[in-house]
Amino acid sequence: MIAGLGLLVGIIIGLMLQPEVPLWLEPYLPIAVVAALDAVFGALRAFLDGIFDDKVFVVSFVSNVLIAALIVYLGDKLGVGGQLSTGVIVVLGIRIFSNVAAIRRHIFHA
Amino acid sequence: MRDGTPDELPPKVHMPLLDYITSTSLDADYAQAAERPEEQQPKQVRPGLAALVVMGLFGLLVATAAIQTARNAGDESSGRDSLVNQIKARSSQLDARRARISTLRDENDSLQQLYLETTSQGRALSARLDRLGVVTGGIPVSGPGVKVVVDDAPEATSDSQRVLDSDLQKLANALWASGAEAISINGQRLNNISAIRFAGSAVTVNQVALTRPYTVLAVGDPDTMPARFVETEHGRDWLDLHAVPGLQFKMTSEESMRLPAAPARILTVRHAMEGETP
Repeated sequence: MIAGLGLLVGIIIGLMLQPEVPLWLEPYLPIAVVAALDAVFGALRAFLDGIFDDKVFVVSFVSNVLIAALIVYLGDKLGVGGQLSTGVIVVLGIRIFSNVAAIRRHIFHA
Repeated sequence: MRDGTPDELPPKVHMPLLDYITSTSLDADYAQAAERPEEQQPKQVRPGLAALVVMGLFGLLVATAAIQTARNAGDESSGRDSLVNQIKARSSQLDARRARISTLRDENDSLQQLYLETTSQGRALSARLDRLGVVTGGIPVSGPGVKVVVDDAPEATSDSQRVLDSDLQKLANALWASGAEAISINGQRLNNISAIRFAGSAVTVNQVALTRPYTVLAVGDPDTMPARFVETEHGRDWLDLHAVPGLQFKMTSEESMRLPAAPARILTVRHAMEGETP
């Protein structure tokens, strides 16, 4: 409940302020969103498993976002930014799917 | 570990990568945190203030990314639209300029005509311009004249049975001598600096290679030209060529024919300058 409230507040603040993203940060924003999505679904699954932990959630969220952005940044510097982004998206995508599958089992018992 | 079975190895060693990713999709940290001794565990497993802040951050991130993407898409499409508009504007500008060029050119011609017509001197000049244009090949001409078609002898085997550059030179000279005002060979107008030459195996006129048969058009008096032709030295040469090696030669009178202007590159005067009037 409190998490849903936080999400709603965050979205509303974002829509109202419409912060200007610096140009150098722009390529890392989409990958950061995917990494954050992975952390959020992981947290939701842990919550349904009954092993949710605030600290673990915060740490996994921040580190996911930072590492994903760092990998893409490194890839850009090495000239393989596109390929590394694809790799990060594939791994995070698989994790998101399997976490969502676990969540689905919890909710629908199927 | 050396003689260990695969079961004793950590799963990331023997599992396929995708299976490993799937099986560890939940961060192990949650399980580890849950296994900590009771006294260290947080009192509640429900999300607290930290989760609220992080979820807020997540919402902010998603909203910002969405806004940014929408903004960029707008930029891209407006950029394309403005390029398309620029292309359209410039090409219509180009069309307008082209139309203006042709109207200005027409205007120039008519103004020049008008200017020359206004004075008697100008009228004389205009007439002289036309006359010189006929002689130098600067303007197309039309009128009555004779048409001469020449070709190699049937089943020619040696060069003497073929039409050579010298034969065409003789023919042109004979036609000039018999009163031609303008001559063209296969559509190439002759003037006083035209060259009729052999280049390789083809005859070139005005540096354009021609193929046989050669059709020579000469504007002049069609009643007197054939008679005067046979009186010229080169005309008689041609009658001989027709008789002995058997070159094909056919002269007909034409009521009306049209000769093009000579190409611009042989109309330019390269060395002659206008002299001082004494």
